Amino acid sequence: MMKVYFELNGEQKYVEIKPGERLLDLLRRLGMKSVKEGCRTGECGSCTVLLDGRPVRSCLTFAAKAKGHRITTLEGLGSPEDLHPLQEAFLETGAIQCGFCTPGMILVAYHLLSHNPDPTPEEVREAISGNLCRCTGYAKIVDAVLLAAERKRKGDWR
Amino acid sequence: MAIRRYHYARDVDEALSLLLAYEGRGALLAGGVDLARGPGTDVEGLIDITAAGLGGISRDAKKGLVIGATVTLEEIRTSREARDYLGGFLTEVMRHVATLPLRCMATLGGAVVSAHPWADIPTALIALGAEVAWRNEEREERAPLEELYRRPFRAIFRRAVLTEVRLPAWGGAFAFEKVSRNAGDIALLNCACGLGVKDGKVAWARVAVGATPYRAARLTGVEELLVGESPSAELLAEAGRKAAAEAKVGDDLRASAEWRRAVIPALVRRALERAAREVKGDA
Repeated sequence: MMKVYFELNGEQKYVEIKPGERLLDLLRRLGMKSVKEGCRTGECGSCTVLLDGRPVRSCLTFAAKAKGHRITTLEGLGSPEDLHPLQEAFLETGAIQCGFCTPGMILVAYHLLSHNPDPTPEEVREAISGNLCRCTGYAKIVDAVLLAAERKRKGDWR
Repeated sequence: MAIRRYHYARDVDEALSLLLAYEGRGALLAGGVDLARGPGTDVEGLIDITAAGLGGISRDAKKGLVIGATVTLEEIRTSREARDYLGGFLTEVMRHVATLPLRCMATLGGAVVSAHPWADIPTALIALGAEVAWRNEEREERAPLEELYRRPFRAIFRRAVLTEVRLPAWGGAFAFEKVSRNAGDIALLNCACGLGVKDGKVAWARVAVGATPYRAARLTGVEELLVGESPSAELLAEAGRKAAAEAKVGDDLRASAEWRRAVIPALVRRALERAAREVKGDA
């Protein structure tokens, strides 16, 4: 066993991990149940989290790599009582069905809008191209991200 | 996998001494993508080289590009240095590789010595004449990537640390083409072609094809066919046909040799046409 410190959704953590443990397993152990295990091979995107603001596959990231870094999961963006504007946009446009892909989709969308507040539909499709959704057919997810982008440009963001 | 220890190497010396101490049961990692997907069952120690001083992208005195082994593919894709090198050829190649979250993890060093030597990045680097540098217990060594792949490179890097990749300056243009099942998938075939034109004639040509499914390789017969000729549509089409005859192709679970031989002419011709348009400045 080894101990690592890192920042999780703005809170400092100092936790014991196994040297070969994956970040996905650590985060779920810490209660971050938005981080989903889908394929465990880096293909589906449902385990996506932000490491220092950049999207990574937590299933293929060793937990030890979090040491000294900033990890953001969906819990760090919003809560059921206080939804993030992206979560609201997903709800309003019907971009959610089973919800399994939603945390990963919202985090890659958050990364996109952090760099590009006025994306084209094509840029949104490219941003979410590494995240699989088996329910929606993607069109409503693209609508949701474009709606959130519009609101961000009007100042409705955090 | 029975990983017992995870080390954070502070420099190349420390990484190398840890790797040697494990006597084949240690593995270097930066992104860690390949290791996490399926490390050897004998790996006991992971040696993280992310903070070992192998980051950074720079231009050298001859206007070439020097990329540290732990630079991520997304760092390359978004860097000003890569955009300024050969009209953004590397930026274009990186866009074709995997998806954003994987590009934020995977590194150039991993793409060269850990992933598949027939994948998109090795093909592009071989076309560019990339030279790689590494440290072993005796010295620093350098070799063209094309030559390194003819050696038992996986065995070399069980006892060595890749430090950087150097790309020479070229007075011309390169283009990359790939066929895959979807945008983020690995290639069924890939190719990278470069052309330099002087007085209306091809002064030099570089043609590399990968995922055949063998290691990426240059097609020197095709290059010789092009040099000294005017880069006409007919010549580039003929180069494509010759590429299919010269490339060593085979079957694997993704595609047949027959399919690959049928597709290579169009793929090579397209890459050459794009490079030729860019050289003339009307791309």
